[in-house]
Amino acid sequence: MASSGASFKSGGARRKATKKGLVFTVMIVGASGCGKSTFINTLCENPVILRKDHADAEKAAQLKTIGLAPTTVELDEDGLKLSLTVVDTPGFGDNINNEPAFEDILGYIEHQYEEILAQESRIKRNPRFQDNRVHVLLYFIQPSGHSLREMDIEFMRLLGARVNVIPVIGKADSMTPQELNAFKKRIMEDISHYKIPIYDFPYDEEEDDEETIEENNELRSLLPFSVIGSEDEVVISGRRVRCRQYPWGVVEVDNSKHCDFSKLRYMLLSSHLHDLKDITHDVFDDDDEQD
Amino acid sequence: MAPPATSGPVSVGIANLPNQRHKIVSRKGASYNIMVVGESGLGKTTFINTLFTALMRDYKRPEQRFAKQLDRTVQIDVVRADIEEKGFNVRLSVIDTPGFGDYANNTDCWVPIVQFLDEQHQHILNHETVPNRKTDDLRVHACLYFIQPTGHTLKPLDIEVMKQLCTRVNLIPVIAKADTITPADMLAFKDRIRDCISTHNIQVFTPAVHSEDEDATRRNTSILAAMPFSVIASENDVQVNGQTVRGRQYLWGVAEVENEAHCDFKKLRNLLIRTHMHDLITSTHEHHYETHRVAKLTASGRSDDDPALQARRGFEAKMKEEEAELRKKFTEQVRLEENRFRQWEQKLISERDRLNEDLDKQHSLVKQLEEELEEIIAARKR
Repeated sequence: MASSGASFKSGGARRKATKKGLVFTVMIVGASGCGKSTFINTLCENPVILRKDHADAEKAAQLKTIGLAPTTVELDEDGLKLSLTVVDTPGFGDNINNEPAFEDILGYIEHQYEEILAQESRIKRNPRFQDNRVHVLLYFIQPSGHSLREMDIEFMRLLGARVNVIPVIGKADSMTPQELNAFKKRIMEDISHYKIPIYDFPYDEEEDDEETIEENNELRSLLPFSVIGSEDEVVISGRRVRCRQYPWGVVEVDNSKHCDFSKLRYMLLSSHLHDLKDITHDVFDDDDEQD
Repeated sequence: MAPPATSGPVSVGIANLPNQRHKIVSRKGASYNIMVVGESGLGKTTFINTLFTALMRDYKRPEQRFAKQLDRTVQIDVVRADIEEKGFNVRLSVIDTPGFGDYANNTDCWVPIVQFLDEQHQHILNHETVPNRKTDDLRVHACLYFIQPTGHTLKPLDIEVMKQLCTRVNLIPVIAKADTITPADMLAFKDRIRDCISTHNIQVFTPAVHSEDEDATRRNTSILAAMPFSVIASENDVQVNGQTVRGRQYLWGVAEVENEAHCDFKKLRNLLIRTHMHDLITSTHEHHYETHRVAKLTASGRSDDDPALQARRGFEAKMKEEEAELRKKFTEQVRLEENRFRQWEQKLISERDRLNEDLDKQHSLVKQLEEELEEIIAARKR
């Protein structure tokens, strides 16, 4: 039952790819103020997520519920059309008690799987049905410089079982290079100690070629990715650069020495997009079907 | 009593009092207690070490983080040091609060901190009436609350905790890791924080602005305008333009700790140590300690009036009570008596009725007999 479903899906997906372009859903989770919305806007090169209105001081003290709102953007990656759906999670980690938030997000992800399952079991399927399954979840870690916090560990462990989780360090321009390396090392130690399942660029020793293996190893060594986001563009020595301007210097978003943003973007939208989708469809969906 | 002799323009030496005070204070030294509150990873330890240019606190050892159990409590850590500068001694205590705000559920995480503050005030209060009054004074003179540099606004946890702390201690909000925010964003962030603080009526420590010295007034105004202070902390020295400064070395430049254009560290240090240290110490004693004292004493039933007045009031109250009781007793008696009379009346009435009935019966009997007699007499005559 599962295998026949898979072959039907892949055939249909290939046809869909050439006609409508690729479909990809990314969910971004993390405490507020980590740079999530700026990251999304930087990734899509467009102000997709509008700035929250923080001016109301009264609202600052109130209990916040998670607002899960998918937004779809059409991107053009090397000539290939990509319909990217981004799900932002404003309000996560903002409250005094954040445990209820976990259930909300997990519920959303499971709901998407249930929808697909319901669609596939129908006799007459809706051809215009949008597949909203989350293909990858970027979890933003606060740049504390110490190690993972309780909330990070619990959340990634809970969701790593249902979706591809990639840990990301937001606002990476608050750490010096040595601090950043030490921080990354400690996070990876935490992840292996607490056995948190993440997407760590798996490769097959026998099947994949040397280049792929090398690429995956390189990306794995960069985990967790450090990102800096900016929507402001400045002209520096004749070229337009996305950057953040401080009194002591200018941080460039696309400079791979300053942060891993460009590598992350390339990995997400070009090289590993299909891998992430396949894992979502095969591994996580199969778990669901067997239930 | 004769009026005191007025002294003309003769200097007696009263103006020398500040100098004497200076000698006394510099001999005795001072005890200064600072508390730092904030989530872990905000640079509190680095800040304290930078402030006193000495390794006051050890950094958290990352190797130990797997060993300890996550017991989800907030601890109070006190580190003491004796600092000496130009012959002047300060007994410094730094109180850290590890575990604050670090968990998924942070409800009531401020309770251990508030309890600690209250305990210190209570400790001094208890020692007021003890024969030997010399005791360790651990009342917190300044509490630095570290705000996360989100760039948005205050979080609900920040607001709740600051509300609880501001009534017990001099609260100074500080924006941590200020090298994450660009200057324009920083101004907007500070505005929003100030807005939040005033909307929720949080009383942060505001130094008095006006003083006799022009310089001081100007300094105080600039300090006030910069609150909440943005800080960058570092213990490392880096080279900038041939000079050695404290700062953080990035690939794109050096963020300097003591550069006023980069952050407000200097202003905060001046406030805490150079200019307002005495202010903080005295306002803790005169304002916060007094508030605590008044609250505790009125709660236990004591009041300010002198004994005679109090006794009289107590006596009057007692009189009123007795009067009310007598009145009640009186009405009760009256009621009882009335009842008794009524019953008596009823009895008399029923007695009268009975007698009347008897009388009637006798009457009718007599009548009957009379009639019989007349019949007999009438029958005889015939």
